[in-house]
Amino acid sequence: MRSHKTPPVAIVGGGIAGLTAARALRERAIPVRIFEAGTELAGLARSFKDEQGFSFDFGAHFVTNRLAAALDMGAVCRTVPRYGEVVRKGGRYSAYPLGLLANPRHDLSAASARLRALFDRTPPRDAAEAFRREYGEAFADEIALPLVEAWAGAPADRLAPSVLQKLPGSILRTLLMRAAGRLTHRAVAIGYCREQPESPHVWHVYPEGGMGALCARLAEGLEETVSLQSRVEKIYVVDGRAVGLRVNGKDFDAAAVISTAPIHVLPKLVEGTDALAPFAAFKFRAMTFCNLHLHGRGLLPDVVVWLPERGFRTFRVTEATQSMPWLAPEGKTTLTIDVGCHAGDAWWQLSEEAVIDRCLDDVRPLVPDVRERLIGGRVLRTPIAYPVFLREYENARRRLSEDGTGVAGLLSVGRNGEFDHLLMEDVYYRTLDRARRLADELRRAPAPRNAPSPTPARRRGKAAVASRAVS
Amino acid sequence: MQALRWAPTPDGLAMEPARCCLCGLDDSDPVAVGEDFEYRTSPEVFRAVRCRRCDLVYLNPRPAPTELSRIYPADYHAYDFSPESFGLVHAVRRRLEARRMLAWCAGLPDDARILDVGCGDGFHLEVLKEFGRPGWRLEGIDPDPRAVEAGARRGLTVHRGTVQTLDLPRSTYDLALHIMTLEHVDDPIGVLEGIHDVLRPGGRCVIVTDNVESPDFRLFGGRHWGGYHFPRHLHLFSKKTLGAAAARVGFEVESLRTIVSPVNWVYSIRNLLVDLQGPEWLVERFSLRSPGALAAFTVLDAVNARVGRGAVLNAVLRRPPLHVSAKAN
Ligand SMILES: Cc1cc2nc3c(=O)[nH]c(=O)nc-3n(C[C@H](O)[C@H](O)[C@H](O)COP(=O)(O)OP(=O)(O)OC[C@H]3O[C@@H](n4cnc5c(N)ncnc54)[C@H](O)[C@@H]3O)c2cc1C
Ligand SMILES: [Zn+2]
Repeated sequence: MRSHKTPPVAIVGGGIAGLTAARALRERAIPVRIFEAGTELAGLARSFKDEQGFSFDFGAHFVTNRLAAALDMGAVCRTVPRYGEVVRKGGRYSAYPLGLLANPRHDLSAASARLRALFDRTPPRDAAEAFRREYGEAFADEIALPLVEAWAGAPADRLAPSVLQKLPGSILRTLLMRAAGRLTHRAVAIGYCREQPESPHVWHVYPEGGMGALCARLAEGLEETVSLQSRVEKIYVVDGRAVGLRVNGKDFDAAAVISTAPIHVLPKLVEGTDALAPFAAFKFRAMTFCNLHLHGRGLLPDVVVWLPERGFRTFRVTEATQSMPWLAPEGKTTLTIDVGCHAGDAWWQLSEEAVIDRCLDDVRPLVPDVRERLIGGRVLRTPIAYPVFLREYENARRRLSEDGTGVAGLLSVGRNGEFDHLLMEDVYYRTLDRARRLADELRRAPAPRNAPSPTPARRRGKAAVASRAVS
Repeated sequence: MQALRWAPTPDGLAMEPARCCLCGLDDSDPVAVGEDFEYRTSPEVFRAVRCRRCDLVYLNPRPAPTELSRIYPADYHAYDFSPESFGLVHAVRRRLEARRMLAWCAGLPDDARILDVGCGDGFHLEVLKEFGRPGWRLEGIDPDPRAVEAGARRGLTVHRGTVQTLDLPRSTYDLALHIMTLEHVDDPIGVLEGIHDVLRPGGRCVIVTDNVESPDFRLFGGRHWGGYHFPRHLHLFSKKTLGAAAARVGFEVESLRTIVSPVNWVYSIRNLLVDLQGPEWLVERFSLRSPGALAAFTVLDAVNARVGRGAVLNAVLRRPPLHVSAKAN
């Protein structure tokens, strides 16, 4: 029998976005149900620890003390004391981004680009043009664009100008924040959050037990609403409104659906409308993160080394232990080598040993004795590391970010659901906001499926769902 | 559906989610992250937020009521602001407060009943006892037994409890004082309602509380502002939000202005120094025992108060006299 009370809001995915949405709705007394395809929660924010005491995440991962405090986790987070990036070019390192400003050739070309921009106010056509206009040709062509291309896996003239997301705040402000960070031995979060203001009082922290602990915290009290190993296979849309879904072959009614699945998958899940069809073309960059566990510490000149030169397979090597010494046993370290690829290509299919072997070659110019230092390695892969803003679907991307899915009662939230480069604090605040708005809507008008006289079409659709529904 | 709570972290406090007491929702942006810089009662990290709808600043999450004894340790200053421990500062403060308080009491009958809601160590009642009229009947209430003891030592009548839970005579008091207390309570609207109901129609309530529209807040509000007093100040007001709270309860606002106080200035600097691990001797220059710093910031804040930006809000509210009262009792 189908129960007559209002069905819960169904949430697709148990990462930070799904769990945040669930909490926000529960706070507004709206029942929820979370379906997570995997065997555990946390999604991209999962943490791993191996037998030898090395911890790692997808890339280097940390959050802000402000997010930790929101989840009452401040007391179990460690302060990240420092964070810095350098660019390696022609065998020399310069601090990023400010050290690069010291290069007169870059400055000259940037100045002339700015001057030209005064007379040419047409919007840039693509990312290449946007970067050249913003930073000058020298810096764009030698540093920024090669990195963008390696990271996105597409030539810069195929990328939309929106790839260039200008950092909020002025250079002076950034300098002050850096100084504050140095003075306090806290890695002040610069260029991390967009939803909330930057401040010298907001810095990076890392929870005991890894990033995954954050999601475990969010899941506290929601246990009975979470179903693991429950891949959502279909989302039913009737008369332009999401009304239910299918999970592991079973149908469920839903007052609304909040999806955190990657946006390009959503059109395949949704049945009953093709409003989402344009999103199917969106591309994500797949990445392998090769963690090399090594003897020694401080093998790189700073936490992150950017490698714009074509000779490298990777565009970025990270030594997270310089920021977070607790990630490796004392006297040992981890280098993480990020290599972009396409899911299914030759690199993607390489064995773990082969990836490690090639990455060792790749970092040899940076750490000549890297092979002698090797203890072991682990490779993480994700097909959805970064959304790629191609020009060909820029309009659809804008529409998604401004108007959402276009289907009533169907939200697409989270990093991959919004198709945006969101970090966890932004995901948290954006999702809270949207879930609360949905709660207000549901309060104001109960789902139309309960309306007294449904149209014939709706009645048919409803019956179709109902007949599939398992109570 | 029960509210979602988190289990306390090791050594952390039991915390609970909070909502804006004006709109009943939590729809807010974070404004500050801080610690218990003054007493270090826990390793917890706290977050102050601002309601997007009402502008009220409040702590969220906040310590559960079961943690009161932990966050108000035995050496908490409100229980022991004695001449012995505070010397010159105590003497000066008494004088200044006496002037202010007698102004609030202007027009009270000789046998007025005065209630200090959240009387702490009884400092204000004692000032009234000494400088006020002999016929005034003075009472205090405070939920903390230490406050009741301190009051008894000074020969004052102090009831233990809150204005909501104590069975005080209704429509009785001529004046209620609520000084540096509203920010501490978890249900400001409930407290104001309680005060409203024990006042006689036409009776007044004087509120003094930290002001989030002051230069000290603007400078230090991201973390070190003394007015946060993490985690003991649960709600922080502006003229707008305090006026809204008063109106909600049915009070008429007779006056709403800012007054001079050096305390948040001094403690903001102290918190900053503590946070930066400044030298002990320097930190000690900034406290309630530092006449120099208090004097200097009194002068500074006097200038701010002149332009309506003093560190502390002062509201005089009136329970409407019967013939104009809209609120039925
Ligand atoms: C390399 C890298 C480094 C990063 N570094 C940082 C950092 O330092 N700091 C930071 O704050 N953020 C960082 N981020 C971003 C952060 O990881 C993400 O913003 C965040 O984890 C996204 O959470 P989410 O809930 O939106 O998505 P996800 O974590 O991807 O969660 C989505 C969940 O949905 C599930 N799902 C998908 N489809 C279905 C389906 N059909 N049915 C059921 N379940 C489904 C998935 O299994 C997954 O668990 C980084 C990201 C990357 C890739
Ligand atoms: Zn509010």
